[in-house]
Amino acid sequence: MARTLMRFTGVGGQGVLLAGEIFASAKIRVGGHGLKTATYTSQVRGGPTVVDITLDDEEIFYPYANDGEINFMLSVAQVSYNSFKGGVKKGGTIVVDPNLVKPTDEDRKTWNIIEIPIITIAKEEVGNVITQSVVALAIANTIMKPIDKESLIETMLSKVPEKVHAANKLAYELGEKYALEAIA
Amino acid sequence: MAMREIISSGNELAALAARDAGCKFFAGYPITPSSEVMHEMSDLMPEIGGVCIQMEDEIAGVAAAIGAGMAGVRTMTATSGPGISLKAENLGLAQMTEVPLVVVNVMRGGPSTGLPTRVSQGDVAQAKNPSHGDYKSITLCAGSLSECYTETVRAFNLADRFMQPVFVLLDETIGHMHGKAVLPTEEEVNKGIVPRKQFTGPAEEYFPYECEHDQPAVLNPMFKGYRYHFTGLHHDKKGFPTEEIETCRKLIQRLEDKVELHKDEIELNEEFFLDDAEIMIVAYGSVSLAAKEAIRHLRAEGIKAGLFRPITLWPSPQDRMRELASRIPKVLCVELNIGQYRDEVQRSTGRLDIAGLFKVNGRPISPYEIVNKVKEL
Repeated sequence: MARTLMRFTGVGGQGVLLAGEIFASAKIRVGGHGLKTATYTSQVRGGPTVVDITLDDEEIFYPYANDGEINFMLSVAQVSYNSFKGGVKKGGTIVVDPNLVKPTDEDRKTWNIIEIPIITIAKEEVGNVITQSVVALAIANTIMKPIDKESLIETMLSKVPEKVHAANKLAYELGEKYALEAIA
Repeated sequence: MAMREIISSGNELAALAARDAGCKFFAGYPITPSSEVMHEMSDLMPEIGGVCIQMEDEIAGVAAAIGAGMAGVRTMTATSGPGISLKAENLGLAQMTEVPLVVVNVMRGGPSTGLPTRVSQGDVAQAKNPSHGDYKSITLCAGSLSECYTETVRAFNLADRFMQPVFVLLDETIGHMHGKAVLPTEEEVNKGIVPRKQFTGPAEEYFPYECEHDQPAVLNPMFKGYRYHFTGLHHDKKGFPTEEIETCRKLIQRLEDKVELHKDEIELNEEFFLDDAEIMIVAYGSVSLAAKEAIRHLRAEGIKAGLFRPITLWPSPQDRMRELASRIPKVLCVELNIGQYRDEVQRSTGRLDIAGLFKVNGRPISPYEIVNKVKEL
């Protein structure tokens, strides 16, 4: 595979870190290299948070995504969207939660913007807002296809407590469904 | 060597390494970006009958760790730059009393509280001389996830060999990045463990600080019948304070020489595409990852760049740097500080034309910034 660079952004406390860790681990498990780095502010909650995920068959040295090379970004907070969208390459895909992020008309011309109400899906359809990171994971993997779905789910389940396995599986299925509808 | 693969972060790997290297005691105070080291130790230590204590502050953290070292066990503390500033006085005590100890410093922006969550390499000069007086720092710097493990293991062995604190410098990027690390197995690590020397003769003939001019003190574990004294004052062969002229001179000269005359046991570096290099980049820690990526791009364009990466920062691999700098026309230091190690490269190589690419805003240096800088040279 060619190098895949993905960026998940939100604000501190939303759980975007975990999705990055799952991607990196899954890629390593299926064979290859994966790195996750996170950048956050010293605010405990509410500061812009960005997770860079680099997946490659070759060894990865530099662990951050270079601005202008990112293939895919997902954002669930306006402040982070504004700060980090510039790193996505022209024509790249940006998934936003339309209740939380309002892209400009200019943005829509520059990138392929997909709107999926990630938080609402987690809160109302799964019934647990914490599963938003798995909804996001499913959306990213469905659109970018870096990892075989079963391997990713297996890795994801290994990183969440057993009592929430069912909720997280549901979150994955729902994320996948919405993503397929959005790109249909 | 038998190897294993682990998916983890740099901080967690440093903790795992401590356990595998026989560490039985950790005391510290949580501080971003090093907290995960202590978090992990709080799981690992009780599992093996060891102890992990969160103390009331940074000073108590290192003091407790030194106490464990005096008692004879392998011991560690972890912190970031502001914590080292607070621990400095006690680190001096450990140098003077020759107590082995591993200190992990996950560097963040400074000075003072600086940029808590952001990357920096601003503690390189501090690691050389955290406390006043004459002594030789041993400072190792991990440049990959795997090295967060292997350098921590090495630090424990060096601490016991040289009987003094050994720094392991990580930085926020390498401490927090999460990915694959290929490590030696626990059995391999075990095979490499050399415990500190002990005196086995009669107690009345035991003088812990009476040793060869280039050798460390021989400190027997406490509570085993061998009595001696610890003090930060200049001390005699039994550890009691003295101002006797020749004893004082010999003691401090020995602290210098036990390291200086055995640098070959400590020095370590990596050379990456240097054989035919016309430009030598000097970088360490997470910055070396950007440098390697940059060298891939530069080589693809036909520019002969290579990397010299000191893994032991102090004592510096000065002879090797001088050798390389005598044949490689251009040298560029890339650091997340304003040339703290460039000073050492200049001193080691005797060259004042060492270029620099520095950043101190808490953000990493990207491979493209290095590529552009190299093209400007």
